[in-house]
Amino acid sequence: MGREPLGFTEMSDLRSFEAEFSRAFLRLERHTPYVDVLAESTEGESLVVDTKSSTPSRQPKLSGAVLRAWGTGRWVEVATSSLDPESIGRAAHALEDRLAALGPGTTPPGEPSTTRKEWADRPTHPLSEEGTAGMAAWSKDVLGWATGVPGIGEGQVRIGWSEVQRFFMNSAGARTYQLVPRISAVVVPLAMENGRVEFDAEALGTQGGREHLERITPERVTEVAKNAVALLHAKPPPTGEMSVVLDPSTTGTFAHESFGHGTEADQFVRDRSYLRPLLGEKVGPEFLTIADDGSLPGGWGTIYADDEGFPCRRTALVEHGQFVSGLHDRVTAAALGTRPTGNARRADFLSRLFVRMTNTYVEPGDWSLEELVEEAKNGVLLVRATSGIEDPQGGQMQIKVKKGRRIENGRLTELVTSMALSGKVLDFLREIRGVSRQAKLNTDPGFCGKGHTDLLPVGSGGPYLLSRAIVGPA
Amino acid sequence: MMVKNEPAETAFHIADRLKIEGPWDVFAERARRYELHFNGRQIEMVRGPIELEGYGLRVFRYHDGKTRVGFLATTDLSEHGVSETAREATALGEYSTFPAGRVALPPPGQRHPSVEIVDPRLWEDPAGTLQAYVDSLFHAFDGRREVAPSFGSVRATLTETSIANSEGLRVGYPHTTVEFEVAVKSFGGPEGAPPGEYWVNETSRRVTTATLVQRVDDWCRYARDVRRASPSPSGELPVVLPAPILSQILPMVIGARFTGWARLRQIAPEIDTPWGTESLDLLDNGLVPWGIASAPMDDEGTPQRSRQLLRQGRVAGILYDALHGAAFGTPSTGNSVRGTDITGYRDWRRFTGAPNDTSSTLEVRPGAGGTDTELIEAAHDGIWVQQLGWAVPDPISGAFGGELRIGYRIRGGKLAEPIRGGTVGGVVMAPPGAPSLLANLAAIGSHAELSESVLAPSVLVRPLTVAGGQG
Repeated sequence: MGREPLGFTEMSDLRSFEAEFSRAFLRLERHTPYVDVLAESTEGESLVVDTKSSTPSRQPKLSGAVLRAWGTGRWVEVATSSLDPESIGRAAHALEDRLAALGPGTTPPGEPSTTRKEWADRPTHPLSEEGTAGMAAWSKDVLGWATGVPGIGEGQVRIGWSEVQRFFMNSAGARTYQLVPRISAVVVPLAMENGRVEFDAEALGTQGGREHLERITPERVTEVAKNAVALLHAKPPPTGEMSVVLDPSTTGTFAHESFGHGTEADQFVRDRSYLRPLLGEKVGPEFLTIADDGSLPGGWGTIYADDEGFPCRRTALVEHGQFVSGLHDRVTAAALGTRPTGNARRADFLSRLFVRMTNTYVEPGDWSLEELVEEAKNGVLLVRATSGIEDPQGGQMQIKVKKGRRIENGRLTELVTSMALSGKVLDFLREIRGVSRQAKLNTDPGFCGKGHTDLLPVGSGGPYLLSRAIVGPA
Repeated sequence: MMVKNEPAETAFHIADRLKIEGPWDVFAERARRYELHFNGRQIEMVRGPIELEGYGLRVFRYHDGKTRVGFLATTDLSEHGVSETAREATALGEYSTFPAGRVALPPPGQRHPSVEIVDPRLWEDPAGTLQAYVDSLFHAFDGRREVAPSFGSVRATLTETSIANSEGLRVGYPHTTVEFEVAVKSFGGPEGAPPGEYWVNETSRRVTTATLVQRVDDWCRYARDVRRASPSPSGELPVVLPAPILSQILPMVIGARFTGWARLRQIAPEIDTPWGTESLDLLDNGLVPWGIASAPMDDEGTPQRSRQLLRQGRVAGILYDALHGAAFGTPSTGNSVRGTDITGYRDWRRFTGAPNDTSSTLEVRPGAGGTDTELIEAAHDGIWVQQLGWAVPDPISGAFGGELRIGYRIRGGKLAEPIRGGTVGGVVMAPPGAPSLLANLAAIGSHAELSESVLAPSVLVRPLTVAGGQG
């Protein structure tokens, strides 16, 4: 499969706007002691194939910049989707007007980044080299594997790649540039019978190139297609409070919804986190460690520096059962007397900055899945998380999964349909009885909102985990 | 106060510069966004103008009786950018296939109905209107003890949409959208009792302060009730769902399954088959004033109108855009929507996405169930759902459910103690004869309320599965 000569236009290098941004800084520094800019440009291509149609598209070619300055006691921001000297100048002028109306600027909380670094490693074999024709051929092969299973009447394959450039500068001298290449693929076989429809899915999302597509094999797709057919006749899940074993994808979602959102320190500053008084306390068993790591190689949520210019790193949230840290931007770090953790992120140049997760996961333990199921005795195994939502103030969580297996007398038995897990996070932590081994951490790709908006890519993962919670249909 | 009713002409300018053969269409937006974010009663961030202007170009070609569609969206409005976008969209189309004959794009000269979707005060003075709204919100908390806003935001988007196509269509309209979020915290009282929170997160077309004090009353009551709530019961129970809960559940499933997309994949319900209770009339009505999915036209420029989906519980209609209509030899029903996908996510940057066929504003016609009080009486022994964590239905299987963030037990036909925790769930629609939300509507209230893209009364579902902590 070679690259066909479509000749897509290359995106412009955002670093070429550095002089324009510097000029804008000079104007704005008359009114404020601190100003920064984040410029962003996105490129990519995607293809959706099913048995009826094939739909290629390019990622929206969006580019723009957001200027941020500290006014009197608040951040003030202006953004433009036109990256040309006139538009940048107009945005700076609008910001200048707003700052002038607020009066003399005070110093913003916290220390600014002074990092000067660039990260721009493209994959050795980028998916873009396959071209649309190559992506279409791969998708049709995968769709054929799925629809070859009896009972699968329809299916959908989606494949895509993107490259996001981000260029950050601030008036303290920081200057970071990064290019983040991501690829994603998913196959969704649809099983239909007498008006009832079910599906299952196999997905990947990672940083890197086309070599990752090898993880979607005929065997995996066939298994997922058979699962979709089996779900047509699966029984509803058991309901009520019971022992639950979470599969790796559900464990990752648990990490994200419980000690991810709950430790985003803007919730601490808002006095909106039930976890804040527990900082330094034991909240789970000795064998439980939960971390967020924006530098995780290949992670869907991996970035090199955050949108305040701080390099990303691993931050332990729960270490051996003890709640040890939150996730910070410069303001929350200053408020709580600590350092930024590289978790200040914008969904895009149009969106405001919040404290956000990157890749959040539970580290492995030393049980096997069989041992966890035996220990559970009766309950349910939850498989393939589809969504989750946090409750930072109330300390509850909701996780929905596509399917599961009953656990009866210490053994996995019948398949059950989609369900929701709910409960209090602290109760759930206290009830954790075991975490399985895991040879290699694979993070699942996802998109996380702050509330229901500002979606951005995050990874989550972990091993199998045994605890207790309320389960119901969903 | 006058609202400028002439749309931005972005799409027209792009169309004038296109040097390719038809058919094609251009959907463009010029948007300004303003935001206020607050922490407690302190403004922590002021944003705006956040300026965005861009367009999506769709190019159709025909080959072997099938349609090829190339689509590309961009913010590059330059002469060179338009030329490259046209070339790339055409090239992409070479890899597209769709089982339709010639697509009938809407022609010029059609009458587009008017619908109220512009908040004039917001349009004229967005920053001032948002500041006044937040001031009113804070004022509504004055004098209240042991309850306060912990954080929130209000985001206003002022958009000029324009559409052009190779048939000569040149149309457009302005619209406003307001996203509002506030967390209301209840605290104090007995030593050691943890705080309670009621989180409000809603999207509408306008800023309204007239009912704010009453709404804050309600939010404060829910926040207090969170602190004293009992565990939810368990079992197959009568459940009353108000319009805001239906607005989380219905659009994702109805908008996926009652469509040409679903029909093409043989997962749409058959016309005249019974998928709902006999008293259920369900419509797709993009002309409902102030609905966030309402507009004078769909995203291809076809005039909006009202379409019956279920008549007395029987399937009466399927929704099409121009492309899916062509696959079945039927005209578009005006249901082309951009910036949304099968997950129900609605992007405020609609030009970035190719159109799908999906629902606009869904309307459940009021029934004979009476007031909420009468629905509660009819439920007798069940629950009232005030807020779910996230109902997020599965658009394919129709399964929905979520954690009960706050609700009320119904005992002896009256609202009793607040309840919280556990899950409430079921299936939105199921084949004739199988239980589902649409088929198990025991009563439909008589007073409809608009909540985002659903105009509906409260409904009594008998039963739904409740999995709580009490047997």
